Amino acid sequence: MVEFQSKLEQEFSLVERSLNGQAKSPIHAIRKQAMARFAELGFPTIRHEEWKYTNLMPIVKQDYALTLQAASSLTKADIEPFLIPDVEANVLVFVNGSYSAALSTIISDKGVEVMPLAEAFTKKTAVVEKHFAQYAAWQNDAMLALNTAFSLNGAYIEVANSAVIEEPFHLLFVNDSRQQSTFAPARNLIVLGVNAEATIVESAHTLVSGENVGFTNVVSEVVLAENARLQHYKIQNDVTQSHFVGALHAHQEATSILNTVVVTLSGGIVRNNLNAVLAGKAADTHFYGLYLVNGKTLVDNHTLADHAVAHCTSNELYKGIMDDRSTGVFNGKIMVRPDAQKTLAYQSNRNILMSPNATVNTKPQLEIFADDVKCSHGCTSGQLDDEALFYLRARGLDREQARALLLYAFAGEITEKIELEPLRERLESIIAERLHQELV
Amino acid sequence: MLTITNLQASVEGKEILKGINLTIGKGEIHAIMGPNGSGKSTLASVLAGREDYEITGGSVDFDGKDLLEMSPEERAREGVFLAFQYPVEIPGVSNTNFLKAAVNEVRKHRGLEPMEPKAFLKMMREKMALVEMDQAMVSRSVNEGFSGGEKKRNEIFQLAMLEPKLSILDETDSGLDIDALKIVSNGVNKLRSKETSTIVITHYQRLLDYIVPDFVHVLYKGRIVKSGGKELALELEAKGYDWVKELALEEVV
Repeated sequence: MVEFQSKLEQEFSLVERSLNGQAKSPIHAIRKQAMARFAELGFPTIRHEEWKYTNLMPIVKQDYALTLQAASSLTKADIEPFLIPDVEANVLVFVNGSYSAALSTIISDKGVEVMPLAEAFTKKTAVVEKHFAQYAAWQNDAMLALNTAFSLNGAYIEVANSAVIEEPFHLLFVNDSRQQSTFAPARNLIVLGVNAEATIVESAHTLVSGENVGFTNVVSEVVLAENARLQHYKIQNDVTQSHFVGALHAHQEATSILNTVVVTLSGGIVRNNLNAVLAGKAADTHFYGLYLVNGKTLVDNHTLADHAVAHCTSNELYKGIMDDRSTGVFNGKIMVRPDAQKTLAYQSNRNILMSPNATVNTKPQLEIFADDVKCSHGCTSGQLDDEALFYLRARGLDREQARALLLYAFAGEITEKIELEPLRERLESIIAERLHQELV
Repeated sequence: MLTITNLQASVEGKEILKGINLTIGKGEIHAIMGPNGSGKSTLASVLAGREDYEITGGSVDFDGKDLLEMSPEERAREGVFLAFQYPVEIPGVSNTNFLKAAVNEVRKHRGLEPMEPKAFLKMMREKMALVEMDQAMVSRSVNEGFSGGEKKRNEIFQLAMLEPKLSILDETDSGLDIDALKIVSNGVNKLRSKETSTIVITHYQRLLDYIVPDFVHVLYKGRIVKSGGKELALELEAKGYDWVKELALEEVV
């Protein structure tokens, strides 16, 4: 573990030398501080409250290459399976953290500036400096500090005031670990202007061979100006020889609406942090999550709805279906600060355990410092409803069909929150297949 | 159609059915009445294959086959239909998809191809009219947010779609107002045929004004203590169940 950590420190000085003029920029000053902080904190262990159930040690004791400058040998055919079918989308492809212009397609040209973050550092310096690392607080979060230190590339999307971008932005992160196990960091900055609207899909995919393992670390900072609307979908259906630690940090101004859906279907160890700060009056945030996992996959979702001002709403529903020896972790925090009167905050986590060896650790955390608020939370973990199973069987469906139908419906409550129809349909068909669903 | 011989069943070690004998012929409607806790719903559940009950004795022959050997889904496919006393709400599963799956399972069992979507929709519309269901109800999730009356109508709608040989209506009248009762009974009556049989389980005589039985049986403490024609129901209505309880005592003595 110490070896990988010291390797990262060495890599950082190599990166610094390659920066030339930018090494003196305010952004790089932040990277340096973040690197120093990461070196101090080290990788989190299970003694850390926020990592109690997710042990990174087996991941970080491995050796990884960090190949930020490497050219990619991937072709469009290689990434084809990762694309959303039947949709006209902007696709930004990053291979081991580097932007691949050859594999990317940008079709939206009005009302939006979209480019790799590396380019935005010089072309959009003022905007980047205003927002970068302002919402993702790395000071007390080692993994965020690490990502901030290596925030060399990723997607930059800036939607102009009142612009409504119909075409979604698919940010596709490929970890190519076929030659050697690779650590692939990326950092996105997404800024929506007043009344702007956009849809973003993030997905990470790992290519492996032999004993190799990919480790991907993607952090997005998202800013919603007044009345902006963002649909943010994160799709995780990666190989089991992959690990993912990522975060979304959103800052919401008045009456803005954020709708996030995180769907995890496969992977090794998957950790998602999702934080939204409701900083403007009557902002509205929705957190939806589905984890449908088997094997030894571990999915850990940590969320924070941070109500800073009055009249905001947060609504959260995470659902899990866990089979085999898989593990689910849900830690949902609602923070209601003293000024956040008239807050409405709802949270629910529901789990179905399909196997006696599957586990789920669920923990709601409510910290309420205002007195005129409505907050509720609830969690359930159990098996399928026997009454419903019998009802379906009494109509002629066999046990397997009945189970699949009930599970599909259970998952459907989350997938229906995806407004991007081709994506929703794709996920529903994957889920149906997974559940041996035979119904059309 | 159905021959029940000395059927005994218990739940968690407690004996509920203590030797039921009942024969139901083709085209007949049998009403099973009795006070609360007499075992009426247990009998319905055991016939449908609910697994919470342990069969401790006796046999049930359904058209020459051993019903008790079959799983709930096999019974449904063979043509046994239980209209539930408490229909289950299943959020996220649309009535239409659920019925399509059920109808096609029954067809497959009978060696038929799955229904063409067009034919299926036509059949749905016809059967919906039978119980005065509208499209909005059918498009919703199974029983989700339905009123008591809507749930019972949905049961009869499913019955109509699945065309069973033997229908068991378990207290279908409970929780129904008079208008809903008429709609439900009307549906059942229209579905009557010389080839199908019905068991109507009810506590009250009221339902039997609309669904007129050929035979009435009184169940008490897990046994049928009296059988008769439809006039027996009226007698029970007039005299109450105490009379039957005394009858049962006499029998024991």
